[in-house]
Amino acid sequence: MSNSQIIVGLEIGTSKVCVAVGEVSENQVVNIIGLGQAKSRGVRKGEIIDVALAEEDVRNAIVEAEQVADVEIRSVFLGVTGSHIRGFNNTGVHPVVSADREITTSDIQDVIKNAKAINLPTDHSVVHVIRQHFRVDGQDGVLNPEGMLGAKIEVDVHVVSGRYNRLQNPIRLVNGLHLEVDNISSCALASSLAILSPEQKELGTLVIDLGAGVTEYAVYSAGVIKHTGVLAVGGDHVSNDLAYGLKVPLARAEQLKIDHGSAVIDPEAGDREIDLSNDSLIPGRQVNLGHMQKIMSMRLQETFELIARDIGQAGLIEYLRAGVVLCGGGARIPHITRLAREVFNLPVAIGRASTVSGIKNALDEPEFATPVGLIKFGVFQSQANPRRAGFGRAIRRQVAALFGR
Amino acid sequence: MKNSTKPAPNANPVIRLLGLGEAGVKLVETLAMIGPGGIETYSLDTDNRSLARCHQSQAFLLGQAIPCGLGTGGDSALARAAVESDSEQLAGIVRGADLVFIVAGMGGGTGTGAASFLANLAKEAGALVVGVAATPFDCEGIRRCNQASGGVRDLKQVADAVFHFPNQNVVLMEGANVSLHEALDIANRHLCEAVLGVSRMLLDSGMLNVSFGDLQAALRGRHSLGSVVHVDASGDDRAAAAVRKLLTHPAALGGEALQEASTLLVHLSGENITMAEIVAVTDAIGSHVTKANLVVGASEPGSDGAGLQVTVVIAHTAKLAEPGQEQAKVHPDQTGQASGLGFSGSFSVPDTGSYLDLGKGAGGTSRGSFAYTPPAPTADALTPECREDLIRVAAKEETNRKKRQKIVQEMLPLEIVSKGRFEKSEPTIHQGEDLDQPTYIRRGAVLN
Repeated sequence: MSNSQIIVGLEIGTSKVCVAVGEVSENQVVNIIGLGQAKSRGVRKGEIIDVALAEEDVRNAIVEAEQVADVEIRSVFLGVTGSHIRGFNNTGVHPVVSADREITTSDIQDVIKNAKAINLPTDHSVVHVIRQHFRVDGQDGVLNPEGMLGAKIEVDVHVVSGRYNRLQNPIRLVNGLHLEVDNISSCALASSLAILSPEQKELGTLVIDLGAGVTEYAVYSAGVIKHTGVLAVGGDHVSNDLAYGLKVPLARAEQLKIDHGSAVIDPEAGDREIDLSNDSLIPGRQVNLGHMQKIMSMRLQETFELIARDIGQAGLIEYLRAGVVLCGGGARIPHITRLAREVFNLPVAIGRASTVSGIKNALDEPEFATPVGLIKFGVFQSQANPRRAGFGRAIRRQVAALFGR
Repeated sequence: MKNSTKPAPNANPVIRLLGLGEAGVKLVETLAMIGPGGIETYSLDTDNRSLARCHQSQAFLLGQAIPCGLGTGGDSALARAAVESDSEQLAGIVRGADLVFIVAGMGGGTGTGAASFLANLAKEAGALVVGVAATPFDCEGIRRCNQASGGVRDLKQVADAVFHFPNQNVVLMEGANVSLHEALDIANRHLCEAVLGVSRMLLDSGMLNVSFGDLQAALRGRHSLGSVVHVDASGDDRAAAAVRKLLTHPAALGGEALQEASTLLVHLSGENITMAEIVAVTDAIGSHVTKANLVVGASEPGSDGAGLQVTVVIAHTAKLAEPGQEQAKVHPDQTGQASGLGFSGSFSVPDTGSYLDLGKGAGGTSRGSFAYTPPAPTADALTPECREDLIRVAAKEETNRKKRQKIVQEMLPLEIVSKGRFEKSEPTIHQGEDLDQPTYIRRGAVLN
């Protein structure tokens, strides 16, 4: 135990707050040793709307995770999301000035610094700057240019940014529970870290996290992240559509979605009626299964179409040779892969957190991709900033640098 | 009634027809060939090639020094420079004319750039200037169309009236399947009709004459965007057919143009015109006219067979073009009657040709809801452009005032779509669509 390190991922989602506790052994193997969940009540569309409720839910989830894992949680890696988060690509350029034209570490640092100098709106701050590829004198696809000769070095980066205040809300909430935030990560990035194998990243994959409040997506190609996006439409919208269309209360609509939902319209469903007679609120009501499936299918299809359009505009559809991977609670909707296959015209699979070991429950369920991914994110971070006495402090410094205004 | 303008008994007004630019030259050539005698035709262009085809009219090369007979290539500024350099010779051409037609195809270089300058020269020479302008098809590109409408506007500010025929009207009339050759042919015919109709009205010796004075009274100083509708019909029921054609003519806008006109000159020409026919035509027009001064003429053509030809010159009121101050100088209530029949050609339809007359006696009673504050009389001294600006500003204020008076009940949507739990959250707007609303409603799917 003394040589292992505990890394905790916390996702404050729209439908549930989820905590995963990971134990990282000496040789960097991640083992999930605890999970904690609580129903989320203070979050809408991925963002906190009621701090008191959200705080209570987070506390419950943390307590549960502590009990299961039998550890004390002091710091977490926090997943952030919301419609304000956007991803874009940027390029930094730096001329190599040394006489022998050899690219040194400082040249690389300079070019990355240039790429980070982004003209963001004043209320935005950067969440991630992810290095993609270097280019040396126009030679593309250089992974590490150090020691190469060249006159000009360029780097492509993917930048994820969000509104400063809205990013601060969950951080402040966690701090209020006397927990440290080691770092924050966008949920799309975390999910993809959990479920994608290096081959999938290399071949090109689209990861779609179908959450309750938001749908996030990330495109990997040639081993690096190419595109991310957030659509503030999720499972809540499906329930809301059903409640409106079938004229049933929202909670009942949610239950109907779970019990009888389908992403595609079953041609025989049109004749079937679902009896709601055992519901005390609406005795003797029946709803048509065909209508229900039509409402659901149209919403989900639209969501996929919006993503497909965005990725098509980014020119990345052709690069998705490993297809589409779905995760999040929405991935449990029956026939969702069939619908996605029809929209994207690509092979579609449900993502599993296959790159870590531990509690089977945590790995098999697509909902847990984000917290598990946050643990992997934490592992990468601690590798990049090797743990010494002040590991936590080093990370804290980073967070402070990000948000310390 | 008293005639305020007396045409000399045996002298026709001097009509000069100036074709500008390639389209104008072509039209003038055609008109010179088929038109009635007594019209002097001139072809003016910056392009030698186009002038080389002129045989009927007198050719004049514009801008010998600048484009050197090579055309302007759509550059209206170059055309303007060319025509300015030749202003002395051009002034000679328009000198002594009573009526000058300036025929130009707008949108190119020469027609667009030179027409307004030429109109100004003619105006200074004391002639009544009528522009006849064709504007290009929509498909000829936005730049050309913009240039054309700019050209028409410039010409309108100088000329007394502009008869304007958008080529696109041919497509509206004949459908999109009309061949290009046919379309151009029809457009040319309409423009020719405008010139021929007016000149025939003035030159044909008639039983009921529409004189130059009438035309002058209707158009002088109005800077109106008028139109000429010319139709012919034959057969037993030729009057009814002519009326039908007249009202369906694109320039008449289904009778709307007649309603908004301040003065209408109606001229019938045909063999053995009966009183019934005159009455039928004038009644039909009169029923569409609310406040215009209607002047009717009739003549017997020399050769044109049994058909009935009806020409209507429509001069618009302030709505489409502002009535000039000069209009007050020539009171619209006059007949052009010069024949010895003792029959007044003027139908005194309620007259509000000019709002300056509003306060004067009986005219004021028939003005209906027309509420326009007369501008200060010193506006006489203003340039036409300045005046137009002022009137535009006044018109804007007018609409504002109306807006304030009129409370419009907005149409409410039939079904108010509730956003349920997202009612109070930040809306998810994606490319103008509110994604919080159920997809099936936005896409119009029906649940039965």
